[in-house]
Amino acid sequence: MTRILAIAKKEIVDASRDRRTVLTTVVSAALAGPIFLMLIFSLLANQAEKTRALELAVVGAEHAPALVDFLARQQVTVKPAPADYEARIRAGDLDSTLVIDGEFEKDVAEGRAGTVRLVFDRSRDRAQASIAEAESLLRAYDRSWGRARLTLRGIAPSVGAPLEIREVNLATPRQSGALVLFLVAFYGLFATIIGGMAFALDATAGERERASLEPLLTTPATPLEIAIGKWICLALFVLAIVVITLGGFYLTLSYAPLPAVGVPFLFSLRDLARFVAALAPLVALMPAVLLWLGSRGRSIREAQANAQLLLFVASLVPTAQMFLQRKEPWWLIFVPVSGQYTLLNRVLRGDGLPLLDFAQSAVLPLALTVVALVLFARNWSREAVLAGK
Amino acid sequence: MIAVDGLAKAFGAKREIRAVDEVTFDAPDGAITGLLGPNGAGKTTLLRMLATLIVPDAGRASVNGLDIVAERDAVRRRIGVLSDARGLYTRLTARENVRYFGELYGVAPKLVATRTEALFHTLGLSALADRRVQGFSQGERMKVAIARALIHDPPVIMLDEPTNGLDIMSVRALREQLRALRADGKCLLFSSHVMQEVAALCDSIVILGRGRVVAQGTAPELVAQSGAATLEDAFVALLGSGEGLAA
Repeated sequence: MTRILAIAKKEIVDASRDRRTVLTTVVSAALAGPIFLMLIFSLLANQAEKTRALELAVVGAEHAPALVDFLARQQVTVKPAPADYEARIRAGDLDSTLVIDGEFEKDVAEGRAGTVRLVFDRSRDRAQASIAEAESLLRAYDRSWGRARLTLRGIAPSVGAPLEIREVNLATPRQSGALVLFLVAFYGLFATIIGGMAFALDATAGERERASLEPLLTTPATPLEIAIGKWICLALFVLAIVVITLGGFYLTLSYAPLPAVGVPFLFSLRDLARFVAALAPLVALMPAVLLWLGSRGRSIREAQANAQLLLFVASLVPTAQMFLQRKEPWWLIFVPVSGQYTLLNRVLRGDGLPLLDFAQSAVLPLALTVVALVLFARNWSREAVLAGK
Repeated sequence: MIAVDGLAKAFGAKREIRAVDEVTFDAPDGAITGLLGPNGAGKTTLLRMLATLIVPDAGRASVNGLDIVAERDAVRRRIGVLSDARGLYTRLTARENVRYFGELYGVAPKLVATRTEALFHTLGLSALADRRVQGFSQGERMKVAIARALIHDPPVIMLDEPTNGLDIMSVRALREQLRALRADGKCLLFSSHVMQEVAALCDSIVILGRGRVVAQGTAPELVAQSGAATLEDAFVALLGSGEGLAA
């Protein structure tokens, strides 16, 4: 035990003196949150801006003055459409144009439905919000006009509209922020791997590269003690990187003057703690796997290829899961990375961190941590590890 | 003391490379025993077996009466090994490098501190003690490695080609250090492919060739045994060729 602690202590001192690696890892972890949140928020703010200050280009406003008045009352700035409005919409310079038919007044006066055309390009993502807003305003005008006519004839409006649709959005304010907070989850997962990568390889393949392994193995310290000691140091470091990464997101969301987008992103200190707790099994597992991979390499360069494969696979999982729209199968919570991602999502949705789910998500990562450390120790017990300086 | 009896080790898929082949010799306390042989004679493999890093295929060996296989941990605490690979942790200071090994050998912190002072003093490292090893010369690194191998005050000391890459001043300093350890009654096993090195320092010499013991004895005994005029001629005569003989 004293030997394990001596190894952990030495590794911490050794790693912390590698200024450049410490600095780049810590700075990139701390900056991930602020930078990505700024980007996302300014994008959202742009869209929100568009919805609120809707400008609608109208052709033939003179044919339906009542409609134009209605739109104006709904804070829509009505302006005459340019002659080449179709080309402009295709080019993305104009979101949509309302074309009021020349026969509108005549049709309405003769009891037919008046025709308006809403011209837009559905493939333009940025225009979606304002198109939807224009559509819903037109429908609202349609309904209120119809209701007024029925009322005039002494018929209850419900006769003409037997179905009343009420939207009940179950997304609480914090749920609407989930897309943004996917980023937080992704970077938290990412930090468990990238945070310890350089140090794990330096502590394993580097030990061989520098020819310091043979003297170390000559001491009474067993390979398993060495593995555990190195793992303790690395897991602490990865934990720190995870906290710094998530802390960057937390501080940005709490204090940075982000543009108001009307979605209250609630990411409290308690959520932060839950995130760290949900990621804890990976904070144990990833350093062990990286150490094992590193112990297979004769040089740092050789070990890097293996470690990058791990990074690729692990970052694929949350991405695949985000695109997978079906309900998650029951066993997903047990799968390392997937389980943590699932839990992070629950925390994001405000479901808290149920103890049973957490325990289930921790079982396999912790078991694999032990396996990886034993494999690491076995690699360094082989006589061949001394060959090939 | 070290007692080696019929030790053997082979490598390769079919064990066809017999690195060490039934080697037998004794290395007594209070003496420096030299392992002399050309490159590839099996010196490093033999020392690794005695250092309990690899397990022999056949034969036995003991350190102070303790079997190197059955009592591996006890053996480890009694030997100080300066192996061919002697990498240091370059971000740690000289003192921290030595202290780390002291802790791994279970030496009390106070004892580590006083021994480090004493070792650094005799090795002439005191001025560099708290500087990071990063900028050290080969000779300075070697001295740190020696201090590291001796921090647990082992009765048996093994050195694999310790003079490799050292300048003449460092070699002289190393010789002084080894003679002082001999005077303390330690058992020293010293491997080298440089004949003059061995002749200048060792009380008795074991000549290895292709994994086998070719001859052993003191320098005059070896000369007499071979009927040659000088030790160099004796070395060539005993090995059957001048192959790998670098001076």
